[in-house]
Amino acid sequence: MSIYDFKVKTNKGEEKNLADYKGKVLLIVNTASKCGFTPQFEGLQKLYTKYQDKGLEILGFPCNQFAEQDPGTAEEIQTFCRRNYGVSFQIFEKGDVRGENAQPLFKYLTEQKGFKGFDKDNPLSAKLTETLQANFPEIMQGDGVKWNFTKFLIDREGNVVERFEPTKEPSAIAPEIEKLL
Amino acid sequence: MVKVYTITSCPWCDKVKKYLQSKGVEFEAHNIETNEDDYKECLRISGDEMVPVTTIDGKNFVLGFDKAKLDELLSA
Repeated sequence: MSIYDFKVKTNKGEEKNLADYKGKVLLIVNTASKCGFTPQFEGLQKLYTKYQDKGLEILGFPCNQFAEQDPGTAEEIQTFCRRNYGVSFQIFEKGDVRGENAQPLFKYLTEQKGFKGFDKDNPLSAKLTETLQANFPEIMQGDGVKWNFTKFLIDREGNVVERFEPTKEPSAIAPEIEKLL
Repeated sequence: MVKVYTITSCPWCDKVKKYLQSKGVEFEAHNIETNEDDYKECLRISGDEMVPVTTIDGKNFVLGFDKAKLDELLSA
């Protein structure tokens, strides 16, 4: 089984084989939906703009399993939605990324790279852990995706080389991406 | 006439519409995902692609579901 064996659907309903991305460095991310609080979209777009020409593709999978919130913002209520995601990288069909109905791609990714804890140097980590333990204790169990904007980095040969938690800002991933390009 | 700019599956748009209904305010809802003219008009008013946008005169507007600001807009 390899990453290139998976088939997914774009947000326009078109089938896409991940094999089409062979030879590219991939960043696969579960994003919030159009009504979430979503500053990381901007950071991801910056990475895409910077590295697209060198062979990076970002694949965004919207999911509404995480209370429509960005980490650490549970008490900040945002009351609007966006017409677009405001990004130029590929967005796929909305679906589950954890639990029984998780998309096979995300089952595979989380098997390849398990949960090793949130980033200790990010003050949001404590808040996110607290929110999860209080409201969604089942999410804290196991290796499943913990929250919006978990990022999986794939090298040009299709190996899942790294998993970054939501508490890792997109800009902080840049050096890891550069190593693979 | 009060106009509310919306998209499909937008819980906050539904809340604005319900709130206006509860106050007996007549309004037109315009879906900016399905109508390009409405999209352009909404973009002109708010300068962004976010909804719900509620407006009466096409100049002053309220972004999101904010009862206090909606009341202010309606009483102006």
